[in-house]
Amino acid sequence: MATAVAVPRTHRSKEIRRHTLIYLGLIPFLILAVFPIFWMAITAIKQEPDLYRMDIVPFWFHLPPTWKNFDFLFHRTFYADWIVNTMAISFWVSAITLLTAVPAGYALARLRLPFGENLGIGIFVTYLVPAIILFIPLARVVSTLELQDSWWSLVVVYPTFTIPFCTWLLMGFFKTVPFEIEEAAMVDGCGQLGALCRVVLPVSVPGIITSVIFSFTLSMQDFLYSLAFVSISEQKPVPLGVATELIRGDVYFWGSLMAGALLVGVPVAIVYNLFLDKFISGITGAAIK
Amino acid sequence: MLPWWRTPTARRYLFGYTLLAPAVLYVTLLVGLPFLFSLYLAMSDATVGAPVAEFVGVENFRAALESPTFYVALRNTLVFTVGAGIMKGLLGTMLAFLLLQPFKGRKVVRALVVIPFTIPIAVSVLGWKWMFDSQFSVINWALSRLGLIGAWGSPDWPVWLGQPHLALASVMFVNVWRGFPFSAIVLLAGLTSVPPEVIDAARVDGATFMQRFRIVIVPMIAPILFIGTAFDTVFTLSDLSIVYLLTNGGPDGATEILPTLAYNIGIRAGALGRGAAVSLFLFPLLLPAIIVLLRTLRRRQY
Repeated sequence: MATAVAVPRTHRSKEIRRHTLIYLGLIPFLILAVFPIFWMAITAIKQEPDLYRMDIVPFWFHLPPTWKNFDFLFHRTFYADWIVNTMAISFWVSAITLLTAVPAGYALARLRLPFGENLGIGIFVTYLVPAIILFIPLARVVSTLELQDSWWSLVVVYPTFTIPFCTWLLMGFFKTVPFEIEEAAMVDGCGQLGALCRVVLPVSVPGIITSVIFSFTLSMQDFLYSLAFVSISEQKPVPLGVATELIRGDVYFWGSLMAGALLVGVPVAIVYNLFLDKFISGITGAAIK
Repeated sequence: MLPWWRTPTARRYLFGYTLLAPAVLYVTLLVGLPFLFSLYLAMSDATVGAPVAEFVGVENFRAALESPTFYVALRNTLVFTVGAGIMKGLLGTMLAFLLLQPFKGRKVVRALVVIPFTIPIAVSVLGWKWMFDSQFSVINWALSRLGLIGAWGSPDWPVWLGQPHLALASVMFVNVWRGFPFSAIVLLAGLTSVPPEVIDAARVDGATFMQRFRIVIVPMIAPILFIGTAFDTVFTLSDLSIVYLLTNGGPDGATEILPTLAYNIGIRAGALGRGAAVSLFLFPLLLPAIIVLLRTLRRRQY
């Protein structure tokens, strides 16, 4: 009996030891990852004199917290416009992406077209041609379309990375939809298009939602295109606006900078976080499976 | 007999190509043609103002190769990409092996450590700019309290973004901060795809941990590590926001990289042709990464 009690105990103390070691290993990573965000958050709600004190511990409040910085953003800057612009850009980019990537992903996954694989790889290659090579020629395209200094220019260029990414994501998704349900629909008298619209699309809603999420989060990760194409304050999307408009010469409004950055950064980070595994398998699925 | 264009196969092809057409057209028009157009621009004297450009041959490339700034930017780009890449690989591997263990709170920890990668880069760089502040840096506060540096104004007070070597190290550090969770998650996905039976079998056969690691795990995760590194290289080489927002290439060119140089010449100064030439010098650096990714894709296809 004594041994029967002792075994789980040593097991338990072993487990505790193992956990302690793992947590000790993880603490530096956690501090590295989270501290900057904590620091931004506390800066956003500190009163200004509280920011510039080196003689006291800066990790907590010495003057009461304040919402003044958020107030400043919405009443003294174009922050509200930037949010509206960002939402509008995301909406149109999602629409363009869905209208092109859903049919393309379906065709590549299902229809066994001659050159289909090469076309698919060709589309993926465009995801690998980075903005830094494309932004100068696209600047010419944007000015030819007379869209410079308007957020519409970003609606035109963001699909250059959302379409390839979402096409591959959806291709993988459509491959998991059983072919039988389509066949059944066609036997029941649907044409190929009918089967796609009435049977395949409804069961693909999760994949489509994922594509919309990525159209949004990938658009939010851009900085270069918006910096190169949009220089009018009211037309900027949030990341560009915060990074360029809240600095006057050499004067940084740290409180409102951090407030404006986190107010959009945190929701985007949370949503992206939830879909991160889809992102990873979307770009690396090739090697894992 | 049906004419060939009415046969089921022909109709399927027609249907398929119609579905593919919008996506193919979009990326051809806005990625493929602009890429070719950038080759043309790089060989012209195009500027933002002048609609008509003249062909100047390799003049822009020659001008770039003759300017000392270009070599500084090229060297910094290489140091930045390789140095930060190695750091991301090391930190990512350590984190991946930690996250591979089963422990309580694993999901929460994972969600927290990937924040640097998921938060928009332009947003988090602003936080770093504040943490690297020349006078009120929280990093310096901590170092000073630990007694590692003197008070503000003392000669060993680091001005992170103001001293050449420190500035390059700082922008690389922010890139590592952003990229290590990506390396870790990609590796984790690769490691979890190694079937435990394989590792157990090796253990039964008497393989030590290092042998198991070298003979079983490394070959199995090598392809995924390759893919992760290749993607990360593409992201890193093409990102200008960290350097642009933290130092804009300064102090005195110490952090100038090809992306910021291309932006400053092409857009700021409006010399589209010369800017396009500079940005095209990134292409040979990107090419190995692109080839790695394409070969893995091909392998999956066949």
